Amino acid sequence: MNAFKSILQAVHVFLTVAGCVFFGTQLPAGRIKWISFVFLFLLCVLGIGYYLYFRKRFVDFSEEICQKADQMIWNGNERDRYGENRNDDFDYSHNQETLSSKLIMELEKLEDIIRSRLSESEQEKEKLQKTISEIAHQVKTPLSNIRMYQDMLKEPGLSGEEAEKFMEITERQLEKLEFLIDSLIKASRLESDLIRLHIEDGSIFHTLTISVDGIVRQADRKQLGLSVCCDPAIKAFHDVKWTAEAIGNILDNAVKYTPEGGRIRIDVHQGELYAEIRIRDTGKGISPAHYNDIFKRFYRESSARNTGGLGLGLYIARNIVMREGGYVMVRSVLGEGSAFSIFLPMNQVL
Amino acid sequence: MNILQTDNLTKYYGTEPLVVKALDGITLAIEQGSFTAVVGTSGSGKSTLLHMLGGLDTPTGGSVTVDGQELSGMGRNELTVFRRRKIGFVFQNYNLIPHLTVYDNIVLPVELDGRSVDQRYLQDIVRALGLADKLYRKPGKLSGGQQQRTAIARALITKPAIILADEPTGNLDSRTSQEVIGLLQATGKRFHQTIVMITHNDEIAQVADRAIRIEDGRISEGR
Repeated sequence: MNAFKSILQAVHVFLTVAGCVFFGTQLPAGRIKWISFVFLFLLCVLGIGYYLYFRKRFVDFSEEICQKADQMIWNGNERDRYGENRNDDFDYSHNQETLSSKLIMELEKLEDIIRSRLSESEQEKEKLQKTISEIAHQVKTPLSNIRMYQDMLKEPGLSGEEAEKFMEITERQLEKLEFLIDSLIKASRLESDLIRLHIEDGSIFHTLTISVDGIVRQADRKQLGLSVCCDPAIKAFHDVKWTAEAIGNILDNAVKYTPEGGRIRIDVHQGELYAEIRIRDTGKGISPAHYNDIFKRFYRESSARNTGGLGLGLYIARNIVMREGGYVMVRSVLGEGSAFSIFLPMNQVL
Repeated sequence: MNILQTDNLTKYYGTEPLVVKALDGITLAIEQGSFTAVVGTSGSGKSTLLHMLGGLDTPTGGSVTVDGQELSGMGRNELTVFRRRKIGFVFQNYNLIPHLTVYDNIVLPVELDGRSVDQRYLQDIVRALGLADKLYRKPGKLSGGQQQRTAIARALITKPAIILADEPTGNLDSRTSQEVIGLLQATGKRFHQTIVMITHNDEIAQVADRAIRIEDGRISEGR
């Protein structure tokens, strides 16, 4: 009550002064009191009006957002955001400069991203299943071969020479089996996100040594000239073990597809953002139309069908490098050789 | 889920009998989160296709559906807002504003939409693209690759669902091209974006998940 009185008093003083200025004379006290009551009353009405108006707008606004959110939940699987069943009342809120439009479109973006993550993990599951069934299929052949030769070995009238030959065949089939199972494990672990990469800013030279060690023997057997040129000071963000695996897979291919007496050269360069590990061979090369295909799962070029392999090596290599924030590229001239480049980030990208 | 779809899309220029068919019945579906390269020689219609996908040009026939919305049903203003919120563009000639700094160029689309800049996200992008120490320079002081990286940062800052890149490496040398494409691919994966890139270069296209070849306004390979 005291506050009200003091406000009234203030208005009273104001009106007295205003009256003096406007009319040149002092207005009677009774009239001023009356005017100030009317004035205050109008002010209150205006205030309440404003309050109700903005409250209504805010309620409408949140109602609209809630409706939209409800629609998103409701339409769970099918997407008829803008389709047949849309609620026409709310259609105006797309692509407008209004606050609600902005908010709704942001909500939709969020929905899209969550949906895409979901479908990504579903696809991963599918891929994994395909990989498993493909390998299960591939494993059957060497397995039945081993069984067959095993049975033959058991036969009584077998000469020592024959037995040795069969043993050798069995051994080769076992090697194949080992390789297949190894690939299965790697591919499935990569696809099911089981491996955690320990990405560190480390020397490429060290990683390169590990992968080169793995192929020196095969390269020697084929009498391939192998040269490595790498500045030990070049560093990049990568996981040592898995990157060595990726480089190893590419080197494996280089050895496999380069004829005897050929050359394999590895050199490392530093770019502005990436370090490039380039592996050049003098093999049969890849036609540019297949650049995109060779990194796909189980892709075998028709002319490579009789060489052992599954078509997983390059796929795994690319998968590893991409998870490190890098990428793999190939450049090739048919009949002259190929150059694979692995780019590893020198800044932390991911 | 398909985020971009075209149905029998056509674009003709001129009138009978001198009709140039830039696009001649393109039906295409691009999955969300994928990186697609559209490969073709100059004059094959690939740029026209990209302009249609981004709503920068209107088709003669057929439809373009982006994220469930058909572009032909939208008015001019609606289309502008739609583009700004859903699509990021990267052009061959960068299209940076020369008298703004790198920072101001990057945050421009966010400010146009009347929002405040997500500083942490910005720092993330800028670091990934190797621009952290160049934020307060003018574009003219940067190399071609750095300018294109700035353009990519600008395309990423609104977190658009789709990035359309028109010959992003057209003006860059081969080494820089590879770096720019590598970054585009890495950032796209990281921020769950769908990328459609136009190029005439097979070497660049191999980084994509999928390559579509266009010849004389038609898809010749890789549907």
